[in-house]
Amino acid sequence: MDAFFASVEQRDNPQYMGKPLVVGGSADRGVIAAASYEARKYGVRSAMPSKIARRKCPFLIFAKPNFEAYKAVSKQIMEIFFRFTDLVEPLSIDEAFLDVTENKLNIPSATIIAKKIKEIIKEETDLTASAGVSYNKFLAKIASDYNKPDGFYLIKPEDATEFIENLPIEKFFGVGKVTLKKMHNLRIFKGIDLKAQSKQFLFSKFGKSGLYYYDIARGIDNRVVNPDRTRKSIGAENTFHEDIFTADEINDKIEEIAEKLLERCKRGQSFGKTLTLKVKFSDFKQITRSKTVDYKLDNYNKIINLAKELTLLVDFSYNSIRLIGLQISKLDNVDLFLPIQLQFDF
Amino acid sequence: MKFIVSSSELLSHLQRISKAISGKATIPILDNFLFNLSNSELTITASDLESTLITKMAPENIEGEGSIALEAKRLLDILKEFPEQPLTFEINEENLTTDIISENGKFSIVGAPADEFPQLAELNQANTIGFTIDAGILEKGIIKTLFATASDELRPVMNGVFFSLTENDITFVASDSHKLIRYKRSDAKSSKEASFILPKKPASLLKAILPSIDDEVTVEFDQKNAIFTLPGYKLICRLTEGNYPNYESVIPTVNPNKLIINRTQFFNAVKRVSVFSNQASNLIKLHLEGNQLTISAQDIDFSISAYERLACQYNGDTMEIGFKSVFLNEILSNISSDEVIFEMSDPSKAGIMLPFEKETEEEDELMLLMPMMINS
Repeated sequence: MDAFFASVEQRDNPQYMGKPLVVGGSADRGVIAAASYEARKYGVRSAMPSKIARRKCPFLIFAKPNFEAYKAVSKQIMEIFFRFTDLVEPLSIDEAFLDVTENKLNIPSATIIAKKIKEIIKEETDLTASAGVSYNKFLAKIASDYNKPDGFYLIKPEDATEFIENLPIEKFFGVGKVTLKKMHNLRIFKGIDLKAQSKQFLFSKFGKSGLYYYDIARGIDNRVVNPDRTRKSIGAENTFHEDIFTADEINDKIEEIAEKLLERCKRGQSFGKTLTLKVKFSDFKQITRSKTVDYKLDNYNKIINLAKELTLLVDFSYNSIRLIGLQISKLDNVDLFLPIQLQFDF
Repeated sequence: MKFIVSSSELLSHLQRISKAISGKATIPILDNFLFNLSNSELTITASDLESTLITKMAPENIEGEGSIALEAKRLLDILKEFPEQPLTFEINEENLTTDIISENGKFSIVGAPADEFPQLAELNQANTIGFTIDAGILEKGIIKTLFATASDELRPVMNGVFFSLTENDITFVASDSHKLIRYKRSDAKSSKEASFILPKKPASLLKAILPSIDDEVTVEFDQKNAIFTLPGYKLICRLTEGNYPNYESVIPTVNPNKLIINRTQFFNAVKRVSVFSNQASNLIKLHLEGNQLTISAQDIDFSISAYERLACQYNGDTMEIGFKSVFLNEILSNISSDEVIFEMSDPSKAGIMLPFEKETEEEDELMLLMPMMINS
């Protein structure tokens, strides 16, 4: 979906149509969750601090996020995908991989399907989407981002090599800020530079991900579209309006975050055995501490007790704290279709 | 001091109380049996601090009095090897050397000072409540419930058997929050209304000793500890402190769907069908319609499935309900009646299982099992 959260807000509030709008907190310490295309013209991007966004565009409209509405649209578009194939792998709330090699409507061309899906989405949700078509996940994802908004792009097998060679490294799916910097330091700027590196070299610099980069530089990505792809972790965190530093404040915040985390685990019916505490200090130094237990972290007491144990491993006297987060991983029971053993309510 | 005992009699006493020893004792002295000879009676104690078992014997040819701690494992190991014969124990209390003199030899060990052994818990007399119960009833109350106790570090009250005493009856309850057993006896009672939670370990210690007892058991307890006095044995244990949840509130009261079925047939069919269930969930589905029960299971990952149909007596709406096969069979195997009654309300509420015939008029047995949510 194009500028998903922002587009939903513009759709539901016609007075915002055509105006620079962002979804996110307007407070100085807020962060932009999504920016409309009008806002992007001013250089406003998602994940940008609200303060900077306002500086770039003084009359920027801040909309409060309405997750219920986004989820409803998400459900709608996923349902549309399933009209074509059951091989749908959701990648996030507003995008998914579809394997349409065999599809329910026996349409021989993926291009036709992509265009049809875009039409149906426009018709049923009044929102625009962008689609990319290719012969593997990596290229399809890149194609979908290539021509936004309301775009479509096809990467044919015979064009893949040239396309990848000319692709700036930051456009590679899976290359984030940190990796990008590393790549640039290694004088890798485009696909062709990446392709020039040996497997050993990439492995030594990027570990396992290096092997992935080696393959995708050659247009190789054998991952299948996996409709059962499950989440690996669930987290909750809080950036504070003002930095905190007393033990009482830290405890209060951890309790709040633990509640939020449990809520999310319950919603997904996923419970894990590893808890990670993340603390970001006001100088942006970040530390994490984690522990794995042999029982499932499926109630508030279990989570909070372990979280408090982890706080003992952190030297809070270092600086005041900007952010605290908790994350549960080693999830089991992540399969939403697995039946759930019910419990007595006492 | 000196005494003579029968090797096999001593072994059987030691074996029974040795189950109290934990094997990973926090203090080394707890790897010993405490022997105490006084008033021509030999008292032997084994403990893990939480639970203590004491037994009494009447040895012969007694000389002197005193106490000593003797290494439990070595004593059991040697006693197992003797054919039945009288053994003479000669204990030098000054240097703690102990000679066990058999028909053909002498086995020498060094004991530990008796005063290192921890003091036994005593009841606070002002708050002590006591009652007596037939050994057979106590044994059955424990057997019926023990398997349903939880192993939840964070909710210790669930890890024991709840004893609820009234002037009319005694109720034993256990639950791991998936299943719940309530076993009530009207032929056992207390003079005072009271309750306590007996942890798993002492409950299983009692379960092991009770079959050999054919008499009354005296139970005394206060807020913290309980003492079970049986002929020849005494169990002193710490109780779990805390409140047991209100278990009556989770027993559904309106259960219009009632199934009566042969227990063994049901049990065996569940066992067979569950081989084809998903190994992670162990889900089996019960489909009830007319006078037929269909038990089915499948594991989509391996493309395997199974079903069995059983004739039954069913009064209620057509319904489908899922259970974890392991839990269902644990409950079915805990019932002795030939036929079982299975009462249900809807697929998201607990099912109640009752024996069709009671073993005795005085018992009231109820088992509750929470279903699994079927998502398809």
